[in-house]
Amino acid sequence: MISISTRFTSGSDIENFAKKLSSKDRQTAKAVRVCIGTGCAAKGSRRLYELFCEAAEQSSQDVRVEAKCVGCHGFCERGPIVVVEPGQIFYQRVEEPDVAEIFRETVVGGRTVERLLYEDPVTGNKAKKAEEIDFYKVQERIVLGNNGLIDPTTITDYIAEGGYKALAKVLSSMTPEEVISEVETAGLRGRGGGGFPTARKWRSCREAKGSTKYVICNGDEGDPGAFMDRSIMEGNPHSVIEGMLIGAYAIGSEQGYIYVRNEYPLAVEHLKMAISQARDCGLLGKNILGSSFSFDIRINRGGGAFVCGESTALMASLEGRTGEPRAKYVHTVESGLREKPTNLNNVETWANIPAIINRGGKSFADIGTEKSKGTKVFSLVGKVVNTGLVEVPMGITLRRIIDQIGGGVRDGKSFKAVQTGGPSGGCIPAEHLDARVDFDELTKLGSMMGSGGMIVMDEDTCMVKVAKYFTNFLKEESCGKCTPCREGLAQMLYVLDRITDGEGQVGDVERLEGLAELLEGTALCALGKTAANPIISTIRYFRDEYDAHIKEKRCPAKECRGLFRYEIDSEACKACGICMKNCPVDAITGDKKVPHVIDQEKCTLCGTCWEKCPFAAVLKV
Amino acid sequence: MPTVTIDGCKVRVKKDATILDAARKAGIWIPTLCYHPSVSTDASCRLCMVELDRGDWRQLVTACNYPVRRDIVVYASSERAQQARRGVMELLLARAPESEELKALAERMGVYETRYPKVTESQRNCILCGLCVQVCEEIIGKAAIGFAGRGVDKAVAAPFRQPSEDCIGCGACAAICPVGTIKVRFHEDEKEIEISPFKSRAKMLVCQECGALIASAQVNKEALEKVDFKSERFRRSLRLCPKCRRLQTVAKLGTVTFVKK
Repeated sequence: MISISTRFTSGSDIENFAKKLSSKDRQTAKAVRVCIGTGCAAKGSRRLYELFCEAAEQSSQDVRVEAKCVGCHGFCERGPIVVVEPGQIFYQRVEEPDVAEIFRETVVGGRTVERLLYEDPVTGNKAKKAEEIDFYKVQERIVLGNNGLIDPTTITDYIAEGGYKALAKVLSSMTPEEVISEVETAGLRGRGGGGFPTARKWRSCREAKGSTKYVICNGDEGDPGAFMDRSIMEGNPHSVIEGMLIGAYAIGSEQGYIYVRNEYPLAVEHLKMAISQARDCGLLGKNILGSSFSFDIRINRGGGAFVCGESTALMASLEGRTGEPRAKYVHTVESGLREKPTNLNNVETWANIPAIINRGGKSFADIGTEKSKGTKVFSLVGKVVNTGLVEVPMGITLRRIIDQIGGGVRDGKSFKAVQTGGPSGGCIPAEHLDARVDFDELTKLGSMMGSGGMIVMDEDTCMVKVAKYFTNFLKEESCGKCTPCREGLAQMLYVLDRITDGEGQVGDVERLEGLAELLEGTALCALGKTAANPIISTIRYFRDEYDAHIKEKRCPAKECRGLFRYEIDSEACKACGICMKNCPVDAITGDKKVPHVIDQEKCTLCGTCWEKCPFAAVLKV
Repeated sequence: MPTVTIDGCKVRVKKDATILDAARKAGIWIPTLCYHPSVSTDASCRLCMVELDRGDWRQLVTACNYPVRRDIVVYASSERAQQARRGVMELLLARAPESEELKALAERMGVYETRYPKVTESQRNCILCGLCVQVCEEIIGKAAIGFAGRGVDKAVAAPFRQPSEDCIGCGACAAICPVGTIKVRFHEDEKEIEISPFKSRAKMLVCQECGALIASAQVNKEALEKVDFKSERFRRSLRLCPKCRRLQTVAKLGTVTFVKK
């Protein structure tokens, strides 16, 4: 590893340093990159890294090998992931005993370990490199491009991959107004959920009165199932810092804050390291790269409230007050943190900035649709074959994301809906799968882009229960400041509870719709205003399921307890007696060679027989 | 000075005045609960919703904190605005069904009952408008009560929901409470004042003449510190109940000789 002893005092310093690095890199021809993103780390990849380090040390006389820990590759389903250079050989589901084999065969011997390669479940073809895998083929990785390549704990790796080049360019040859114009040409819109044009926000903040201005990076990612920002902060923290530096220069700010959830300890650690390294190199602090521009960043850790992802609540929390939103009739770009003009952007938005400067706004704008430019990172989760982080160009259809990247619905079930946009988003049904991923298109469908959560649901998912899950989440996370959100969500949940318990009343759907309209119009912040989206979108597309629950007391997906029964298929039943033995209330009767029967009077619907039956003879009807 | 056209009535207000200011100037009534001119505006109750003309669409905004910066057109009595206000009121009625004050306000708005059951279990009859918290902090300077919990479990409470030592028993919270939930109770035997439901108690000043309870001793002390009044006679008179003070004045009047000019 190369340590930096000198401070960069001009833009050309960075370029020269990067050149020096790349020539040195060529000498180290062999490298093992172990993913230490949260998914892989949970499966023990840290230990793998240590083992590779040991192996590399032991063999240091024969070969020069560098073992590196890198950020999330996105293919978390297949973790831990290890990539071996040269050849970018992509090993998945690597376990401790495999380390020695990989080292002996691939690193030293130059041969591939076939059994650790990804095998296409349909064709059976083995993929040697990441780009040969369907999961990666369709993706266009701008923001996540360097995740999986660089070690997030050293600034040298980032610089070697062209990091801080954009900052050098901006400081040496662009005026703040030119920077904003470039971002405007790129057509970048906020990736945090709202989709507000970034350049317009920057310009309003630049033009706002006052000499002290702040920039904030919102890393309070809280949507269930979402981990896009987490992976960027963990895997490539310098890209966020560089984006903030460029933004601060354009806006005229000298102080920045990164608000990151305390539940992301690795992100906090890597950001801290990155900031301190950037300071040591003179990339943060006074007179950056010999210019008159000064800027520094502080990290603030969030306490875990979902609502603190809302900009005004986040600023209140930064000030040390309770994280509650306030009215935005006066925008935060005019009066935000400590009543000073404040520009807040999401992690992914900031991480896009260096790419825009490096590629040029025009080339960035070539990607995407008319009004949504660039790429978007989604965390693809739920009932798909391949879960993980994916970065796709805007305008791609939902179908391609789910079928091609995600590999379709798991276990051969049929697709029912995809939930996008986090808890405030909506469910999109199969008939709209050809819709394009685009801010306005998703909104038209009653959902939204949000920060990029994408939860796939199959035929066994009850949509009323889905609506109930998200409503409950939001009820729990409502700060309780304003009446409609606090009381309205509790009332909506009360009605949904009643419906899934089989006690729904005629008119409940209308009651929900009335409350939804009230919330949308009168709630204080975006959390409350959009809180009814899961209910509204499921009513819009799955009204029949609501009706089945209410009128027929039946759950079509057979998920709501009490709204379906268990029965034994007498033809499939092999009379093995397992269900009988396991039934806790002795509701099952039968004899040897006589198909068993469930006594519906006694049955408590616990589902044990359904789980235990080895012949799938217990049915939900 | 920007002009606000509210329900067709034109009024001119200072820049950054609120829609509510304009409405009051125009003599148009908009119901409010969490708004009080003495404390900062939180806009948390959402009862003062009005419609703001945005050109091709109308936005529901809260009148109490929407700053008027240019000429605007507002509809306070439109169907949508009234429906929004009534909807909020119904939710509040479900939360505080026993408050007579709230019922009276609801009736004035044309809401006679609520469709919703009482589903929240926390603080009884409190609508969480926050006026008590604000007055205690901003005017009295004590911050003896604050918000505890979150969402539907949010409640106004003293720290750890224990009687607060910071409470001086001034009763400002009870006075400002728009739904009559906070009450002042007197305990004659212990000579104490209690602020309910916080269970905070404070010693009371006892009339030196008749033994009647006058006010919280701490309030009396702090008030005297604030006015910095030199006259010892005035200070003494404050240790009497209003009735005894009157009697004293009457007695004094008896000794005065009136000289006819």
